[in-house]
Amino acid sequence: MLLLLLVWQLITAFGLVSAFLLPPPAQVLDAFVEAVSSGLLARHTLTTLEEMFFGLLLGVSIGLSLGYLIAKAPLLEFILSPIIVAFQSTPIVAYAPLLIIWLGSGVESKIVTTAVIVFFPMLVNTIAGIRAVPPQLQDLMHSLNARPWQSFRHLELPSALPVILAGLRTSATLAVIGAVVGEFVSSGSGLGHLVTLARNLYDTPLVFVSVFTMTFIALSLYGAVALLEWRLLAWRRRSSAS
Amino acid sequence: MTRILALALILLAFVSPAVRAQEALQDERILLTFVPNIQFSPFYLGIQDGHFAEHGFNVTLEHLQEPEVLDLVAAGHADFGIVSGEQVILARAQARDVVYVFEWFQKYPVGLVVQGHNGSGISEISELRDRKVGIPGRFGASYSGLTALLHSAGMTESDIELTEIGFHAPDVFCSKVVSAAVVYINNEPLQILNRSLAGECSDLGMPDVFPVAEQVDLVSNGLIVHSDMLERETEKVQNMVSALGQALKSAIENPARAYLVSLEYVEALPNEVEYVEALQQLSMEQEAFLDTQPSREDIAQSRLDMRGQLGQMFDFDMLEQFDVLLNSIDLWDAEVLGFSELGSWESMLATLELLEFLDGSEVDLTASFTNVFIMGSSE
Repeated sequence: MLLLLLVWQLITAFGLVSAFLLPPPAQVLDAFVEAVSSGLLARHTLTTLEEMFFGLLLGVSIGLSLGYLIAKAPLLEFILSPIIVAFQSTPIVAYAPLLIIWLGSGVESKIVTTAVIVFFPMLVNTIAGIRAVPPQLQDLMHSLNARPWQSFRHLELPSALPVILAGLRTSATLAVIGAVVGEFVSSGSGLGHLVTLARNLYDTPLVFVSVFTMTFIALSLYGAVALLEWRLLAWRRRSSAS
Repeated sequence: MTRILALALILLAFVSPAVRAQEALQDERILLTFVPNIQFSPFYLGIQDGHFAEHGFNVTLEHLQEPEVLDLVAAGHADFGIVSGEQVILARAQARDVVYVFEWFQKYPVGLVVQGHNGSGISEISELRDRKVGIPGRFGASYSGLTALLHSAGMTESDIELTEIGFHAPDVFCSKVVSAAVVYINNEPLQILNRSLAGECSDLGMPDVFPVAEQVDLVSNGLIVHSDMLERETEKVQNMVSALGQALKSAIENPARAYLVSLEYVEALPNEVEYVEALQQLSMEQEAFLDTQPSREDIAQSRLDMRGQLGQMFDFDMLEQFDVLLNSIDLWDAEVLGFSELGSWESMLATLELLEFLDGSEVDLTASFTNVFIMGSSE
C-alpha cells in the first residue's frame, strides 16, 4: 500500500500525468478533509450505507429462504432456475434504469438494485450448503424422530453455515456495487451520486475521495463478515483442534 | 507473370487516385456525447457528403459522457469534442485548458415541460412554486438551465420540490409523478406528445414547454479544442470549423437529406420503403430549390412545407424523429453559424455562480471561447 502511494506521489511529482487526471495524494487528502469537515462525505456515505444495509437485508433474506426451499424441493429448482439464471446473467446496469422508472429515484430503487445483486450468491451458496449436508447425518436425524425445525437448527444450519457465510462475504462486497450502480443511474444522494457530481464539476480529487470511501466500505463489510464467520464457526476450529 | 503485372498496373491506375485521396486525409476523431441520434445528423452529413474530407479529414465519431469528452480533449488524447458551454467554464475553473471554437446550438436546448392547456395550472414559471419538478440530476445543462429559468422568475431551487429522475422525463412525466420536468426541448416533448396520442401518457394531452432560451441566452453545445491547438495547429482548427460549418449548413438547408444520411448511423430510425422514397423525392426537390439561392427565411419555410407534405403521408409516430431533427434545426439556425456571443457566456457564468459550482475560481471568459475561426470560415 505504501509502495503504491509512493509510486503515485512520484508520478504526480514528476508531472508524468496531468494533475487533473491524477491529482497528487496531498490534493486528494485536502479534498477528503474538506468533504469531511463540510459534512458532504458523511451525508452521501450515510445514504449509500442505508441503501446497502436494507438491500443486503432484503437480498440475503430472499436468497436464504428461496435457497433453502430449492435445496429441499428439486422441482422448485426446475421451475425457478431458468428465471433466476436469466435474471442473474443480465448485467445489473441494464435493468437498473427500469428499476428507477418503476420505483422512483429515491432509496427504494437502490435498495432493490442492491438486493438483486446480493441475492444470487446467497441463493447459490445456500443451495450448495444445504445440499452438502451428509446424508448419513440426515438419516440419523430421521431415526431420532427429529422434527424439521430440529433438523434445521441442529444439523442443516451448522453444516451449511461455512458455505452460506462465504456467500455472505461475496454479497456484502457486491452490495456496494448494487447501491452505487443505482445511484449512478439516478439519485440525489449517495457516493455514486457524489462521483457523478464531482465528475461534472471536474473535481477529480473528490472523485478519488468518493471511490476510496466506497473501497473502504466494501473492505469493512468484508472484514465484518469475516469476523462474524470467525465467531460463528468457532466450534469448527475447536473441534478440528481437538 | 507479365500478364499479372500488366493487370496489376491497370488496377493500380484505376484505384490509385482514390487511394491517394484517402491517404491524404488525416484520421480525426470527434468526440460526441449521448448516443448516435438524429440530432448528430450534421456530423453524419459531414462524413457522407465529404465536408470533412474536403478539409482534409477522415472523421470517425465516438460517443462518451460529457466530462470524459472534455478531459480527453484537455489531456490531448483527442483534438475535437462537442460539449455544452457550461462544461467549458467548469473545466477551465479546474485547470483544463480547453477553448470553445464553434457554437453548434445557437439556442439553449433545455426547457421545462408541463401539462398542456393549463391543466397543470402552470402558465408561468412563478407558478412552479412548491411543485414537484423532475430533473436528470443536479448537474449539467439541465440543472444550469433550470436554475437560470427559476432565476428569471425571481425564484431559487428552494422554492420548488426538485427531484432527480435520471434521463427518463417522458416516463416520469407521463406517470404524473412530477408536475413539471426539465427536458431537451427538441426531443422529449415530442416523445411525450407521441405517447399522449397513443393514450400512454395518463390524460395529460399536449404538453406545454417553457424554453430556457426564451428567458435567458445561455451558451450551449459547441466544438472544443485544446488551447495549444489554437497556435500550433491553427490551420487544422480552421479546417474543422469550416467543415463543421458546411455540414451544419447542409443539414439546416436539407433535413430530408440529413435524415436519409443518418439512417446509416442511427439504429431504429424509421426506414420504411415508402418513407425513404418520399424523403429521397423531397431531398431532390429541396436541392433544386436551393439552387435558386433562397433566403434563410425561405429555407425555413421550405422545411415547414416539407413537414407538411410528409404529414399528409405518414403518421406522427413515423415522423417523430424527423420532427426532432426539425426542432433541432430551429436551435442550430442562425445568421452566422458557429458564432457565440460574450453575453451568453456571461449569463452562463452568472448561473454557475448562483449554483456555487465555481468554488471561488476565477474564469476568464474571453479565453474560454473564440470566434476567430468563424470569421475565417466566412471569409
